[in-house]
Amino acid sequence: MAVTGGSVIRLNPSISPYPTAPRQSICCRKQFYVRASVGGNSDGEKGGKMMIRREKQGWKIDFSGEKPPTPLLDTINFPVHMKNLSAQDLEQLAAELRADIVYTVSKIGGHLSASLGVVDLAVALHHVFNTPEDKIIWDVGHQAYPHKILTGRRSKMHTIRKTSGLAGFPKRDESIYDAFGAGHSSTSISAGLGMAVARDLLGKSNNVISVIGDGAMTAGQAYEAMNNAGFLDSNLIVVLNDNKQVSLPTATLDGPATPVGALSSALAKIQASPKFRKLREAAKGITKQIGPPAHEVAAKVDEYARGMISASGSTLFEELGLYYIGPVDGHNIEDLVTIFQKVKAMPALGPVLIHIVTEKGKGYPPAEAAADKMHGVVKFDPKTGQQFKTKSPTLSYTQYFAESLIKEAEVDNKIVAIHAAMGGGTGLNYFQKRFPDRCFDVGIAEQHAVTFAAGLATEGLKPFCAIYSSFLQRGYDQVVHDVDLQKLPVRFAMDRAGLVGADGPTHCGAFDVTYMACLPNMVVMAPSDEADLMHMVATAAAIDDRPSCFRFPRGNGIGAVLPPNNKGIPIEIGKGRILTEGNRVAILGYGSIVQQCMDAMGMLKSLNIAVTVADARFCKPLDADLITRLANEHEILMTVEEGSIGGFGSHVSHFLSLKGILDGPLKLRSMFLPDRYIDHGSPQDQLDEAGLSARHICATVLSLLKRPKEVLNFN
Amino acid sequence: MCCSHGVIPRSDPRFSLLPAITAARASTHDPFLRLYVSTRTRTRTGFGSLRARAAVNDGSVAAAPKAVSFYDLLGISETGTLVEIKQAYKQLARKYHPDVSPPGRVDEYTQRFIRVQEAYETLSDPRRREMYDRDMVRGLHLAISARRRFQSDEQMEERSEWKSRWQGQLTELKRRSMNKDDRGNMSWGARMRRQRNGASDEV
Repeated sequence: MAVTGGSVIRLNPSISPYPTAPRQSICCRKQFYVRASVGGNSDGEKGGKMMIRREKQGWKIDFSGEKPPTPLLDTINFPVHMKNLSAQDLEQLAAELRADIVYTVSKIGGHLSASLGVVDLAVALHHVFNTPEDKIIWDVGHQAYPHKILTGRRSKMHTIRKTSGLAGFPKRDESIYDAFGAGHSSTSISAGLGMAVARDLLGKSNNVISVIGDGAMTAGQAYEAMNNAGFLDSNLIVVLNDNKQVSLPTATLDGPATPVGALSSALAKIQASPKFRKLREAAKGITKQIGPPAHEVAAKVDEYARGMISASGSTLFEELGLYYIGPVDGHNIEDLVTIFQKVKAMPALGPVLIHIVTEKGKGYPPAEAAADKMHGVVKFDPKTGQQFKTKSPTLSYTQYFAESLIKEAEVDNKIVAIHAAMGGGTGLNYFQKRFPDRCFDVGIAEQHAVTFAAGLATEGLKPFCAIYSSFLQRGYDQVVHDVDLQKLPVRFAMDRAGLVGADGPTHCGAFDVTYMACLPNMVVMAPSDEADLMHMVATAAAIDDRPSCFRFPRGNGIGAVLPPNNKGIPIEIGKGRILTEGNRVAILGYGSIVQQCMDAMGMLKSLNIAVTVADARFCKPLDADLITRLANEHEILMTVEEGSIGGFGSHVSHFLSLKGILDGPLKLRSMFLPDRYIDHGSPQDQLDEAGLSARHICATVLSLLKRPKEVLNFN
Repeated sequence: MCCSHGVIPRSDPRFSLLPAITAARASTHDPFLRLYVSTRTRTRTGFGSLRARAAVNDGSVAAAPKAVSFYDLLGISETGTLVEIKQAYKQLARKYHPDVSPPGRVDEYTQRFIRVQEAYETLSDPRRREMYDRDMVRGLHLAISARRRFQSDEQMEERSEWKSRWQGQLTELKRRSMNKDDRGNMSWGARMRRQRNGASDEV
């Protein structure tokens, strides 16, 4: 083990001269610690130096605000440097990794506790397996921070989730160690099986390991994959990381969320089945009655009995064809390494599922104690875990949505809400608190959520499906076939529409206008501000003869005047509104991008150009009168939307061509998201990259007015 | 007739610290029960000291001479549903509330009220109820507050149980994988492995 110069290992600190000694607990008699000095003698230095100490029960890390000294981690640049570490070195490495992750995330925000929970697993995997030849696939990927640190990206970790920095999820373009891109859940076993089968066909002999969580296990795709894996019998290792946190954030408003669904309780049963244990205790009693010589026989009996009465969950995996090993303590690196080495050495492995039990946020007490386990955080203070949440004058769109839905549900008891394991993200935690029996969390199962809503609608209830725009992609066939084809009045509230900032293209809601507006029976609308959002919630509640949907972005409101008591008023379907009057140029915006149009209008005003800005509100049915009027009264008509091609702009242009208006002198331009994926970054940077900022809108108008250079007046 | 040499008579002094088994139960000659009882004596040494510790620390262990389970306290079966638990609790709370208790028995009723309250809190929360059920197997009737103290010990035992379990599973897997790719196995993976191994043999 390479130890950087200047570090000291000491035993029995009772005579230690170090001034920081008082912090050591007195009960531990044998205690040794590695103290790293950065250049020279720092005997006199106090406080500031983070100590990572090994005590009797485990490693203790003092989280101060300073950069933690990580002597062992500093020597690891790639997984190959981990091969010769001893078990104790690996434990020290894990402790240093934890300190590093807490320090890094505290400075920039990101996903904290998921990464902390899998530190030991990541260390064990990289120690035993030879990446990048061996493939490790992380499901969802927000827990891959330790993986990224160990695979050569430690120096760039401070840029994670920022513009031009590391992605917050594994990304194949970023590193060869990232075997598969992730962001949506439950894809790792499918991808792993594909890699395993390809390996077999090409005659190679590397290992494939898929790491999936218990939350991702609630999705059907995981079962489809396991079913196929069992059938094909190809060598594949699946690690089920069970931390009993199925929904996100892993708390309701009142405290930890109880795991959703029958599956989580099945998994919990594997860990401790009281009736089973009763039986086993009795059986043990019997065998001890029989006497010591027969104890071996009794042990055999016990083993077979175990197979027969075994905890109910493991047989599920066995029936699918995966050999089940577990449960295993997911924080005991020695155990993990033993198991992985044994499994790696087996010649004809077939598919194997190793069930490890971890604790989310392990090793960082504030995360362990928090109700939501500090799943996703902004900058925080490492000593206390207190997050520095910026105060904003307005709430987020999500909160306005939840508030107005609650108000609707108070007057109409047929309204129910459905979400897919995203109670916090969709704001339905508030709805659940208010109406606990009318809020349904189905786990990570969007397809089921949609058809479940359709079933509710057939009986006359009014279901609101709150699913992120990009996650609804997973349930698209159900939207078409089960909801739209049968014209069932299901309401879709698509949060995180448009560009989403740090999460990147995997979470970007670029396609929902396109895929919703092409459906024959769907009413498609988008509010331009939070007041309009409330009105649209009321409108959707009122539309009872066909499906409807509305999209709203990530971010905070603009400060519009809210309707009294937060109760929206249904607006007339298929009617937009004109916000400002001008001449020659009309800008027709759809959704929250209207705010950028208004900014552009202000910028053009300073150049003495008055443009008309209109808010279309509805993509389907289009406001025919408004569009015809704008087309007839202006030279130039621009449509702007934060969506991909085939959305609002397409619908407007088809309408105009059908009406014959395009045969005339009108100049029509559509602005939408470019035909490429926009990388993660700050929202403003992303808008600039996409060419939809106020400045870009100005530039387009000016170039159409034959005054292109004047856009340089604005920075 | 089952052998009696392994069974310890009820009057044995080792039983004095155990929660009392009601007369009805002790009189049955159910062999399973006798084993249950003797199992409990064996586990007693492990946990009796913990109970004593808990009692000293917290005093929230159910009174030793008459430790009834929370289920008995509420008067419901061990498989009672939440509705039943709630009903029983409401009934008993109304009965034993200090304000409506007959004068002279206020203290006794208050004690009971507190115990009923405790029972309801433990049993109405599914997680706590599970933990309580587990403890009951071992003959402990603890309120949740006393439990935390030896949760780490319990975890240790659980972990070592897990370890022996997965070690067994690994040996079984090894044994299986020796015979997995025999001629008989026609799965796709087995065929590919045979091909690959066959090819490497030829080289």
